[in-house]
Amino acid sequence: MFKKILIANRGEIAIRILRACKELGIKTVAVYSAADVDAQHVQLADESVLLGEAAPKESYLNMDKLIAAAIQTQADAIHPGYGFLSENASFAETVESANLTFIGPSAHSIRAMGDKAESKILMKQSGVPTIPGFEGLESDDDFKKAAKEIGYPVLIKASAGGGGKGMRVVNEESGLSEAIESARHEALNSFGDERLLIEKYLANAHHIEFQIFGDQHGNLVHLFERECSVQRRHQKIIEETPSPLLTPKLREQMGQAAVAAAKAVNYYNAGTVEFIFDPRPSTFDHQPFYFLEMNTRLQVEHPITELVAGIDLVQWQIRIAAGEKFPFKQKNFHQHGHAIECRVYAEDPANGFLPSTGSLLQFSEPRGPGIRVDSGFSTGSQVTHFYDPLLAKLIVHAENREIAIQRMKNALREFVVHGVLTNIDFMQAVLSHDDFAKGKVSTRWVEENFKEWNVPEPSVDSLVAAALADVVFAGSKSQPAVSNETDPFTPWKQTNNFRVSDK
Amino acid sequence: MKITFDSQTLEINPSGDNYIASVNGKIASIQILRADALRGRMDLLIDGKRVTAYVSSDMAKRWVTINGHTLMLTKTSGAKQGVRHEHAGGLIAPMPGQVRGVSVSAGDVVKKGQTLLMMEAMKMEIRIQALKDGKVKAVYVAQGQTVEREQILIEMEE
Repeated sequence: MFKKILIANRGEIAIRILRACKELGIKTVAVYSAADVDAQHVQLADESVLLGEAAPKESYLNMDKLIAAAIQTQADAIHPGYGFLSENASFAETVESANLTFIGPSAHSIRAMGDKAESKILMKQSGVPTIPGFEGLESDDDFKKAAKEIGYPVLIKASAGGGGKGMRVVNEESGLSEAIESARHEALNSFGDERLLIEKYLANAHHIEFQIFGDQHGNLVHLFERECSVQRRHQKIIEETPSPLLTPKLREQMGQAAVAAAKAVNYYNAGTVEFIFDPRPSTFDHQPFYFLEMNTRLQVEHPITELVAGIDLVQWQIRIAAGEKFPFKQKNFHQHGHAIECRVYAEDPANGFLPSTGSLLQFSEPRGPGIRVDSGFSTGSQVTHFYDPLLAKLIVHAENREIAIQRMKNALREFVVHGVLTNIDFMQAVLSHDDFAKGKVSTRWVEENFKEWNVPEPSVDSLVAAALADVVFAGSKSQPAVSNETDPFTPWKQTNNFRVSDK
Repeated sequence: MKITFDSQTLEINPSGDNYIASVNGKIASIQILRADALRGRMDLLIDGKRVTAYVSSDMAKRWVTINGHTLMLTKTSGAKQGVRHEHAGGLIAPMPGQVRGVSVSAGDVVKKGQTLLMMEAMKMEIRIQALKDGKVKAVYVAQGQTVEREQILIEMEE
């Protein structure tokens, strides 16, 4: 087993990994940037190394500095967390060539799944369902034939494409010719290449992913699904498991497909196979799910799997990387109860959900049975614009979905964050929606249903409370009185969570 | 005394051990049951209804959480309020980020719509433009500088 692990990350995931190391009796090295000098992950580690300036390329993305820090502190392994360098095959290689262990899959697996076009071909060869489509068609008649075979709606897109350029959704045959012509024109203008491909368009798709886990001795299992369809601008905000949509039979089929996908690239350690799920399969292939991509790392939303499958994924990541055998078989795993995760972001719902930065004047996490909070912040922490605006992952576990939703709503109400704006109120609105209660939520659902949502107008109660706080807390004898001459609008004295800005 | 938050003004005054507040013509009587300055927590009786509120303050901003819902209010006061809101018209940073370039300096005469400064934030390009014809009074930031949301970037002469 390793003696010391360097954690090449920050925030809640660095803390999550630190805790796993401590439980395994392994020493920890935190790394940090100039913006994170006072960060919690630095305080909790046995040792820490300053990497450099706040910008990620000077710090958390800087391979040379990370390797140097590991060598300097005599760490024997590096855990990359998620994001940053976690899916960078060259980093995995660089770590190994410095005689350190990369806690994750092989560089080969990362690379094979990193190329989206190549991995689709590989999956097809391995019998994993991929979105049906045709390439290399020329005449309108060829496209018509293909569209008929796949079944409408279809998606026409540039073979060389990307970024939505040269992309058309066609709902019926009468619109096909025109769509081909305009898509071709746009493809030629954008990419200098007029080739088009046609594929099945999934209008009401859900995002369902499977956790897989394997060792370096050929053992590989799946740890069931996570339903991640509640998204805003392709960013997951709420995840849950089990998925309210899957039957036991579908779960088994998708689990097997996920294992087959991972086996195709000789995968070991933790990984996630993402599928597009179509609750109303087309008549073309009657296939309800298709391979989307594989994430070759620990996912943000891994805790809901830990709670329902009953396994500490991070501890096992470390043990597997050290060469241990995974002692469990597929039949050892069962789903217990229901878990939901809400991602609490520092963002401004009234300002297009742009990131909100500042000093946390109050950060009070909810508590109670079945409530877990993975966070990297506390009162007094700074939220800067340099990194991901994720403040905390609020996770609940309960006997069934209904109770889990109720538990999450209560927990969100108890989560008090002042100093930055958050999406806590927004998530309460999402969880209270009938469609969510019914489990009928596609990846476009949030965009379609919450366009008009806005922060409520201030109530009389809130105005009264804000006004009284100035009066009441200003007179508080228990607090050091600080005169506030810098603020023309606040003649009141200061108490602990009443701060004067340092500007 | 009168206090204005955003566009709403309320008047609140002591009345014996309690307070009387009026907002938009509505009158409420308030009794403070408990106040915990350390946590910014107050237990109030507002017209006989029990309300628990958490309040924090930073400069003119107030964060208020009641019944699981959090609001940010900005305290404004009479005459000086105008200055701040003029800046809110576009010469403050709309979000945290980095200054990519400044194309004017103090004393420059600019036309309405002219780009005065470029910012980059979360990989987005943001142009700060003049709201009307006028003269630049001061430029507070330089190329490469990191700015916070609502930081004043450029001030125009009145």
